[in-house]
Amino acid sequence: MHFDLIIIGMGLSGLMAAKTAAESGKKVLIVGKGMGSLCLFSNTIDLLGQFPKAKKMRDGLSQWIKDHPEHPYSHAGPEKIVEALSSFLSLFPPPYSFQTIEEMNCLIPTSAGTLRPTYLIPMTMVGGTLIDEGRTLIVGFKGFKDFYALYVGDQLKCRGITLSLPGPLHDEITATALARLMEKKSFRENIGKEIKKQLREETRVGFPALLGLHHPITVKENLEEIIGVQIFEIPIPPPSIPGMRIFNRFKQWLIQEGVSFLPGYSVSKAMAKGRRCEGIEVLHPPVITSYSADRYILATGRFIGGGLKADREKIFEPIFNLPVPQPPSRESWFGTNFFSETPHPIHQTGILTNPSFQPVNEKGELTLENLWAAGSILAHHHSIDEKSREGIEIATGYMAAKNALEK
Amino acid sequence: MRFATPASPLEVKSRKIPSAMEKKSWPKNNSDVCIRCATCMAICPVSRVTPKFPGPKQAGPGSERFRRPNEPSVDGWIDLCIGCHLCDMVCSSGVNISELNLIAKAKYLDERGRPFRDWLLTHSTLYGSLGSLFSPFVNYLLRNSIIKRIAEAVLRIDRRRELPGYESSTFKQWFKKRHSEGTRKVAYFYGCYTNANEVDVGKATVQVLEANGLEVILPPQRCCGIPMLGNGDFKGAEKMARYNVPSLLQTIRSGFDIIFSSTSCGHMIKHEYSHLLSIPGADEVAQHIFDIFEFLRNLKESNGLNTRFKELSLKAAYFAPCHLRALGIGLPALEILRLIPGLKIDPIEADCCGMGGTFGFKKEKYEISEEIGRDLAEAVDRLKPDIILSDCEGCRMQIRHLTGLKVLHPIQILRDALS
Repeated sequence: MHFDLIIIGMGLSGLMAAKTAAESGKKVLIVGKGMGSLCLFSNTIDLLGQFPKAKKMRDGLSQWIKDHPEHPYSHAGPEKIVEALSSFLSLFPPPYSFQTIEEMNCLIPTSAGTLRPTYLIPMTMVGGTLIDEGRTLIVGFKGFKDFYALYVGDQLKCRGITLSLPGPLHDEITATALARLMEKKSFRENIGKEIKKQLREETRVGFPALLGLHHPITVKENLEEIIGVQIFEIPIPPPSIPGMRIFNRFKQWLIQEGVSFLPGYSVSKAMAKGRRCEGIEVLHPPVITSYSADRYILATGRFIGGGLKADREKIFEPIFNLPVPQPPSRESWFGTNFFSETPHPIHQTGILTNPSFQPVNEKGELTLENLWAAGSILAHHHSIDEKSREGIEIATGYMAAKNALEK
Repeated sequence: MRFATPASPLEVKSRKIPSAMEKKSWPKNNSDVCIRCATCMAICPVSRVTPKFPGPKQAGPGSERFRRPNEPSVDGWIDLCIGCHLCDMVCSSGVNISELNLIAKAKYLDERGRPFRDWLLTHSTLYGSLGSLFSPFVNYLLRNSIIKRIAEAVLRIDRRRELPGYESSTFKQWFKKRHSEGTRKVAYFYGCYTNANEVDVGKATVQVLEANGLEVILPPQRCCGIPMLGNGDFKGAEKMARYNVPSLLQTIRSGFDIIFSSTSCGHMIKHEYSHLLSIPGADEVAQHIFDIFEFLRNLKESNGLNTRFKELSLKAAYFAPCHLRALGIGLPALEILRLIPGLKIDPIEADCCGMGGTFGFKKEKYEISEEIGRDLAEAVDRLKPDIILSDCEGCRMQIRHLTGLKVLHPIQILRDALS
């Protein structure tokens, strides 16, 4: 089948590119495995968590762009970053919308009991930014191993309690099972009443982020009504329920808009003729299916998503075999200390692009005329340390599609 | 750079793998590459509703490390994997989790033995024509509450589950009387359920193909074997595959493509025959077998689709079965149905219907099956459709059971729009 644009990668950058292209009425295919890092890391939208909380994001970002001319944000530019973020936000109208706290980074509690800076947060997490004020009760569930309320509470200087669940749920329960139960009124009411009973002078209750997959705000408001105080969600280890909410919303919207949504199988090969990509192949043994398009966007992520791979000697990009600038030898991939001050050199590797997000080689020459790249696979960012993952994905996914469709 | 010469850029059809060499480079099912990221845990429909199943991460690659061929199986819960393949599809490390589960399930059941019920549920192909012959009597028995109570007590087939009734005339009998005509021929793999229980799906498929100028032929065929495979009975499934593959190969080598209307049969023949059962010739069959809507979409791409649709003012909801998704062909039924004027069609946002073929009939699994399906029923409730469409007979059974609404195969609606 032939498309105007094929996007390779199912993560946030690929989804943003697909949304952007669909809005301009193009025939779009998005193909890839998994859900990117959405159900791994993403609970909130980080833009640049690195600089102090007190600074307005606008100013911080301008300064960052001035200081880092090669950074993906600098290629996108401040206005386009704002445009991309509003495009993302338009997919999440109230009640489950995202907001900033006065256009600055805010600190939200995590399931490790630390405070973490982030930028856009869903309505269910707003209460967590106020954890310093008044008293908070942290609630966990017996059998749910990804959130220890007593530990989290201890770290955050709050009281923690662990609720016991009825019957067979007692032994072990997963985040998705709990999120599903939260959407059952009777379950929620029992939880709410039990917490109300155990509430002392606390004015706020923090839950692990699993207040329902489909209607988190209904769950939140209903629980607030029963307990009588504000409640909020605290991000937990994977799978991330808030990340799944983001993925599901994109998926629903894209299918509704007629985008060909092809999850499940990786692109096994790309075919080029001269300087143009002419098609891709998807291997689903024993069948290989080919698809072609006028333009392609590579948004396959770094190592976890399989966008970059490494063997004993080198790091490479498996689909187009694009040049990947990297440390000279394997010995220099990592610093000596796991928690070192500076990022590990391996986290610098990525695809070089020109300011239009088209992959180039070390000399700055285009590798393929009709290929763009977006998301964490790009070089010149340290999204882990910068706390910029989702911001980069949203901004570059948006810009890659805009640039690709302009040409 | 590592580029091969391109196939024709507008190529629609799937390409045959050129040499056996490439087969060696197929991804191996290596459970050690699991990075425990838990994406599969996000999607598993079973572990979402019951703590009895530990979920794909633990049941698949997690437990695989402790499994030894010569040691007895300890996977008491492995039978709860519903076989939806959703975990395989989200694993970014490329672990085929459901395959690990299926092999472990087969070993577990080989050791413990299978109840007669499982044999009965997986061999409906043997008594399908008898069921049709005596359909009024058989259907009466299948609906009789005393019989259902006995079936539950003796066979452990849950009495809350409706047993599919038989039609008085099979699809094959209907087709025999028909004189199919067209400028080009295609072959149709209709499957047992279409033949004996939902004959109109077969009729609609034939009528739509004929309306597109295609003559339909029926190659000799038996059950695809997916009920057996789903119950960990590799030998039973292989027996079916070894009958079907030579028959389908002969059809293909005479120059005909093969169409299926059941996505479960289709997934079985196209992918499991080769990948899991290693049936000689299955690779070649896989290159020439298509889902009916995938085939129609290919016609549309080459401007060969009959789109003289009449208006259907209908509000429909569409559910994409797990095996359709596992085919990796997107949602072709949705794409084609959207061409019908007046038809409003919304996808149902649910991951799995919970039927899992024979899974939902079993007493010890019925409640899990219903609980998974409840999420789908709630999603349907939000859409308030007149009618629901789904490409898989198992899904249709479950959705009827849970919603009481009219549920059809999308091809039946397409036929209505063409007639």
